[in-house]
Amino acid sequence: MSEAAIGVTHAEEPTLNYLNNGHSIASWLLTKDHKRIAVLYLISVTLMFFIGSIAAGLMRLELTSPHGQLFTSEQYNKLFSTHGIIMVFFFIVPGIPAVLGNFALPIMIGARDLAFPRLNLLSWYLYVIAALLFITTLIMGGVDSGWTFYTPLSSTYSNTQISMALIAVFIAGFSSIFTGLNFIATVHKMRAPGMTWFRLPLFVWAQYATSVIIMLGTPVVAITLVLVVLERQLKFGIFSPELGGDPVLFQHMFWFYSHPAVYIMVLPAMGVISELMACFSRRRVFGYQFVAFSTLGIAGMGFLVWGHHMFITSQSMLQGIVFSLISFLVAVPSAIKVFNWSFTMYKGSVVFSTPMIYALGFLGLFVIGGLTGLYLGSMGTDVHLTGTYFIVAHFHFVMVGGAIMGFLGGLHFWWPKMFGKMYSEFWGRLAAMIIFVGFNFTFFPQFILGYLGMPRRYHYYYFAPEWQLYNVLSSAGATVLGIGFLMPAFYLTHSLIKGKAAGRNPWEAKGVEWEQADSPPDTHNFHHKVIVTEPPYNYDAISDTNKHRAKFGGDPIPHHEEPV
Amino acid sequence: MAETEAHSEHGHHVISDKVLVQTFVLLLILMIATIFFARLPLDGPKYFQGLEPQLRGFQNLWPLTNAIAVGIAIWKTFYVIQNFMGVKYSTKLVKLWAVCGFVGFGLMYIMFFDYAGRAWEPVRGWEKEPSTAFPRDRVTDAGIPYKLYPGTEEEGKKE
Amino acid sequence: MAVHAPTLDPDAPVVYEQYEDIDQQQETYIVGMWAFLVTEVMMFGALFFVYSLYRWKFQEEFFIYHEHLRWDWAGLNTLNLLTSSFFMAKAVQSAQLNNSKKQRKFLWATFACGGLFLVIKAIEWIPKFQTHLVPNNTFHWPPVDAPGMGGSPEHARIFFSLYFTMTGLHGLHVVIGMIAIATLALMVKFKAKPITDYIPTEMVGLYWHFVDIAWIFLYPCYYLIPK
Repeated sequence: MSEAAIGVTHAEEPTLNYLNNGHSIASWLLTKDHKRIAVLYLISVTLMFFIGSIAAGLMRLELTSPHGQLFTSEQYNKLFSTHGIIMVFFFIVPGIPAVLGNFALPIMIGARDLAFPRLNLLSWYLYVIAALLFITTLIMGGVDSGWTFYTPLSSTYSNTQISMALIAVFIAGFSSIFTGLNFIATVHKMRAPGMTWFRLPLFVWAQYATSVIIMLGTPVVAITLVLVVLERQLKFGIFSPELGGDPVLFQHMFWFYSHPAVYIMVLPAMGVISELMACFSRRRVFGYQFVAFSTLGIAGMGFLVWGHHMFITSQSMLQGIVFSLISFLVAVPSAIKVFNWSFTMYKGSVVFSTPMIYALGFLGLFVIGGLTGLYLGSMGTDVHLTGTYFIVAHFHFVMVGGAIMGFLGGLHFWWPKMFGKMYSEFWGRLAAMIIFVGFNFTFFPQFILGYLGMPRRYHYYYFAPEWQLYNVLSSAGATVLGIGFLMPAFYLTHSLIKGKAAGRNPWEAKGVEWEQADSPPDTHNFHHKVIVTEPPYNYDAISDTNKHRAKFGGDPIPHHEEPV
Repeated sequence: MAETEAHSEHGHHVISDKVLVQTFVLLLILMIATIFFARLPLDGPKYFQGLEPQLRGFQNLWPLTNAIAVGIAIWKTFYVIQNFMGVKYSTKLVKLWAVCGFVGFGLMYIMFFDYAGRAWEPVRGWEKEPSTAFPRDRVTDAGIPYKLYPGTEEEGKKE
Repeated sequence: MAVHAPTLDPDAPVVYEQYEDIDQQQETYIVGMWAFLVTEVMMFGALFFVYSLYRWKFQEEFFIYHEHLRWDWAGLNTLNLLTSSFFMAKAVQSAQLNNSKKQRKFLWATFACGGLFLVIKAIEWIPKFQTHLVPNNTFHWPPVDAPGMGGSPEHARIFFSLYFTMTGLHGLHVVIGMIAIATLALMVKFKAKPITDYIPTEMVGLYWHFVDIAWIFLYPCYYLIPK
C-alpha cells in the first residue's frame, strides 16, 4: 500500500489514498473518482456560497436604515435576485448531494464507485460552466427578477440579463439531473452483497428520494425557463397577457419544480441528521422503516403541493383549498421523522461533538421552520403573510437552519473520513454555537417583521420606521452568522495542514464507510470485497453487551473490529 | 434471417425478427387508423355524400375522435416501448422506470383544476370573462355592467 | 481507472472497474438510460401540458390555425420515423448477435431516415417563413398569401409559438440522435475502444425510440385532432 520508495523507512510515509494518487492537474480535472469529484464540488460550491453571502450581507446592510440609502431599488432587486439564485441553484441544491452524497454514498453501500463515473465528472463540469456563466451575468449587470423569475417581468419587461441567467440555471439543472441519475442507478444496482434495502443507511434513502425528485421535477422547470428565454428573445408570447397567454401558467410550472426543489434541498440534510443522531447518541435510529418511508412520502407528496406558493394569484379557490389541505398532510412525514430522531436520543449516551451540535440545532430550527410553514399553508393566514418577511424567515429557518446545518454537520462528520485529519473540536463547537446564535438573531426578528407587515424585496421601509429595531437586530445577527460561517473555512483548512491524523473510525460509528474504508479511502474505496451482515446502526449490540459485562463480569467487546 | 427467440451469450433476450416486423406492421396500421379517424369529420362530407343518412352522423363525432386519436397514440407508444425498446423482456426495475415517467407526466395535469375551477367562481365583472389577465377596461364582451372600486367616485363610471 | 476483462478473450465485453460482472454493468446502463428518458418525458410532457391547456382554452381558434399545418407531409414523417424505429430495432438485434456489418447497415439506414425527417420538416417549415407565420418580428396573421379564416392574431401567435417550440425541440432531438447514431456507426466500424458490447447500441436505440414516441404524440396533437 505504501509507495515503493527504496530505502525510505520513516514512519510518516503516507499511504496511497485517493488524495495522493496522482498529483497533476489533469489527474484532478479528468478524474473519474467520485471522491475527487466530491472535493472539486466542495471547492466550487463554497466559492459560490461566499458570493451569495456577500449579496446577502449587502442586503442586510441596506436594511438597517428605513430610507434605503445605499442602493437604488434596481440595484437592490439585483442583490436579492443574485442571493436567491446562487443560494438555491448553486449552493443548496447541489450542496449535500454533490459533495457529501458523491463522497459517501458509494462507500456507504459498499461499491467501488458510482455507476457512471464519467457522467459524474460531466456533472461537475456542467456546474462549473453554469456557475461561470452566471458570474458573467452578474458582471454584465445581473438580473432583477428575483430567483423566481415571474412573468411577465422576466419574459417581457425586464431590461437585465435574464436570458443569460436562465441559461446558466438551465445548465445547472442538467448538472443536477445527471447527479440524480447516477445516484439512482448506483443505489439500485451497486449495493454490496448483503446490503438489502432495509440495511441501507438512511442517508442513502434520503439521497435516493432526492434523486427521484430531481429526475421528475427539474426537466419541467428547465423547459419552462427555456420558454421564458424564447419569449424574451423571439417574442413568442406564451406567458404574455397581451396575446391571451397566462402569466400564472409560468408560476404553476415554475413551482411544480420549485416546491419539490425545496425537498431536494432538505431531504439530504435530513439524511445527514439521521446519521448524526444515530452515531452521537450511540443508538440505532428509532423507527428506521418509518423514517425511510416518510422520506419517500415527502418526496411523493411534495409534488402535489406547489399551489401553496400561489394562493394570492388568480388561481381558483378550489385549487387553493386542495393545495392547502395537501400541504398540511405533507407536514406529517416530516413530523414523524422529527419524533423519530428525538426518540433516537432517548436512553442513548449523547456526545456533544461538533456534528451533534449541528444536528441538535437542526432539530430545533427545522421544527420552528416547519411549524411556521403551517401558518403559510393555510390559505386564510397566508393571504396576510405572503410576500412579507414571515415567508423569508420561514424559508430561511428550513433552508439555513435546516439544510445548511445539515450540510455543515455532515461536512464535520465526514471530514476525518474525507481528509484523514481531525479539526479542532474547540473551534468546531464554538463555530457551531456562533452559527446557531447568529442565525436566531438574524431570522427570528423577521417573523415579527413579517406579521407586522413588512414586505419582502423592498429596500426601504420609511413608511414604518418602527421596524428599524427589528431590522437592525436582524442585521447584527447576520454579522454574527457571517463570522460563524467564516470560521470553518479557517479551522477546517488548518486541519488539512496541521490536523491530527484521524484513524479509520474516529467517531466509533457503525457503517460500512467507517468500519471498512480507510481515512482517507483508497482510490478504489476498499481493499477487500464488502459483504454486509449486520443491520444498520447496530450500535446497541456492542454497548449493551459491554454494559452487561461491565456489571456482571466478562471482557468487554472491543469497539474496533478487524476488517474482513 | 428469420430466427426464433435467440439468446446472446450473456443471456440477454434478443428480440426476434418476427416480433419486430409484426410490431412495425401494427404501428403502420394504427397510424393509418389515426389519420382516418381524425380526418373523418373534415373530409367526411365528401366520402359520405352518397351514403345513408345514419352514417353522416360520423361527422359529429369530434370529442370522440379526440379521444380515439390520443388513445391510438398511447397504444402505439405501448407497442414501441414493449417491443422495439425491449421492455417486455426486461427486468422489473426497467419496467418500473418506464412507467414512472408517464405517471410523473400525469401529475402535471393537476394544474388543469386551476383553470377549470376559475369558471366556477364568478368574480364581479369577470363572470363571462375568459381567464386571462386582460385589464378590465379592455374587456368588451362581458355584457354585464360592473363598477370600479365600489364606494369611490369611480363607481358607476364604466357602464 | 483500471478495466478488467473477465476472460482473456479479446472479443469479450469490457467490464468497468466498479462493476462485478457484465450483467450488472449492462443492466445498470439500461436503467440509467431509462432514467434519462424519464427526464425527457417530463420535459416534453411539460410542453404537451402547456399545449393542451391552450388548446382547451381556445378550441375553435386552434382548429382554424391547425388547418395551416401540412398534415400530409407530417404523416409521411410519421411513416418515416416508424420505419427508422424498425431499422433501429434491427440494428440493436444485430449488435446483440454480434453481426457488426448488419448493425452498421441498419444504423446508417436509421440515420438516412433521420435525414429524410429533417428534409420533410424543412418542407413544412419553410413555407411558414414565407407566409409570415413564424412568431417573431415578422409574424402576420392572417398569413400573407393564404386566407386566414378567422381567429385573432394574438392567439395565432401563441399557437405557432407552441408549434415551433415543440417541433423545434423534437427536431433538435432528432439531430442529436442522428449525431449519436453516426458516431456509433463509425466507432463500430473502427472498433473503437468504448464499444465492446451491444449496450451502447441499445442505449442509442432507446433514445431514438423515445424520439419516435415523442413524434407519435406530436403528430395527432398538432396535425390531426380536429377540436
